Amino acid sequence: MTNAVYHDTVLFADRVSRVFQMPAGPVVAVRDLTLTITQGEHAAIRGPSGCGKSTLLHMLGCVDTPTSGRLLFDGHDVTTLGDRARSLLRLRQIGFVFQRFFLLPMLTAAENVELPQAEAGVPKAERARRTFELLDYVGLAPRAGHRPSQLSGGEMQRVAIARALANRPRLLLADEPTGELDQTTGEQVAALLDRVNADGTALVIVTHDPALAGRARRILTMRDGRIEHEATQ
Amino acid sequence: MKRRTFLLALSTTLIVAFSSAQTPEPPSILVSRQLAETEGLAEGDVVRLALDAAGAGARPFRIAGVYEPTPDPMRLGTVPREVRMHLPDLLALTSDDDAPTGAEHVARINIALADPANARAFARSVNGRAPGVFARRAAATGSASTFVVLERFHLAIAVVTIVAATVFLLALTIMLVDERRETVGVLRLIGLPAPRILLQVLLEGLLIASAGALFGLALAWVSEGLINRFFQWRYNTALIFVQVTPRVAALCVAIAVPLGASATLAASWALMRRGALRLARR
Repeated sequence: MTNAVYHDTVLFADRVSRVFQMPAGPVVAVRDLTLTITQGEHAAIRGPSGCGKSTLLHMLGCVDTPTSGRLLFDGHDVTTLGDRARSLLRLRQIGFVFQRFFLLPMLTAAENVELPQAEAGVPKAERARRTFELLDYVGLAPRAGHRPSQLSGGEMQRVAIARALANRPRLLLADEPTGELDQTTGEQVAALLDRVNADGTALVIVTHDPALAGRARRILTMRDGRIEHEATQ
Repeated sequence: MKRRTFLLALSTTLIVAFSSAQTPEPPSILVSRQLAETEGLAEGDVVRLALDAAGAGARPFRIAGVYEPTPDPMRLGTVPREVRMHLPDLLALTSDDDAPTGAEHVARINIALADPANARAFARSVNGRAPGVFARRAAATGSASTFVVLERFHLAIAVVTIVAATVFLLALTIMLVDERRETVGVLRLIGLPAPRILLQVLLEGLLIASAGALFGLALAWVSEGLINRFFQWRYNTALIFVQVTPRVAALCVAIAVPLGASATLAASWALMRRGALRLARR
């Protein structure tokens, strides 16, 4: 890729593969896959279970490392980065939303949102302001002092989204964000993700849910570790 | 020569009797606390002492004071019912009119030296200067070796206790850290670097280990008082059975805190080597 191409590109996966060494032999989860995510993009990755979509998402989010190929974030090769550098990249540039929310149960909603900011070195006053702003954004300002156990599934996922946005990431990755929610709540969360994307954050969603995938402008269908089909709407 | 040099145990032959003051003023003696308590004696009382169990040849003595005998672990279980008196009074009391040496006969006396290291040289000097007197070091070597064995026994118990406690602590820490694996996984997913989490865990480990060490010391100090009081009461002695000295306390902290922190760190390190997703997904 040239620098001109990098201009709008947030993430570029260049022929990445991920092979897991299992006792029964190697399993290729993602094979030779190339993908570009641009600024403000809204993409959904679909496919049957075991097709490699979650593995791909984890590699895009620097949680996992490709066995081969390159991953460029903002034009910088992140595959060669050490654990600390990849962690800091996750902290500052990439937001993650998971199916199971992964909120810290001992912290309140506000503290969960504040934590990544504190780790990123955001001053306390600014953290408090940003936390309130985010909880207000996801419609949970009145629940700021509540712990995850006092929140519903939908509310927990909204807190998780607020936490993912805490450090103003350029890319938000969501792995089955509505997987544990009922239809109505799932639609609310999907609408919130749409709003996040509309406000300028690139969004990549892995989902089984056709309705959620249908909200994306770009739909990638994976099979056997490869992108089998790509559609833009 | 120190006053305790003249200590004479008369526990089996002592006859104690109360009497009114006589003239001339009887010689003064000191009685051990245990004897005073047993016989209900007090300072100023006049007692009659004799070598003979029937009281023959008893002489009056005025109690000038009550003293606490120097505790001797070798005599544990023997209640020291003793009196201390001046050497001339002792000679007068124990003199045998039929013996050729008369009032000057003394079978044995103990001498405490300011510096016990000089005992051998002192004995040699006495043996050279006073014919007929046989001086030798007291059986300090034998009793000391007894305590050396006891010290080693205590050390062995301490080592076994520490090793067992370490294994227990490590197992406990692994369980505690494992309970937090989801939290650690989430923190890693959010983007906290592993060293940052390890540092946090290490600080927590240090804090908990320090608190544990302080609690242990407080428990030891409380136990020390209780154990000493119980056994001092049980054996009627002022002997100190347990003593938590500053050195012992410092040693305990020096072992406990790094041990606790290391156990936490070792348990966390094993956790940190797993992937963030594996941790978070339990």
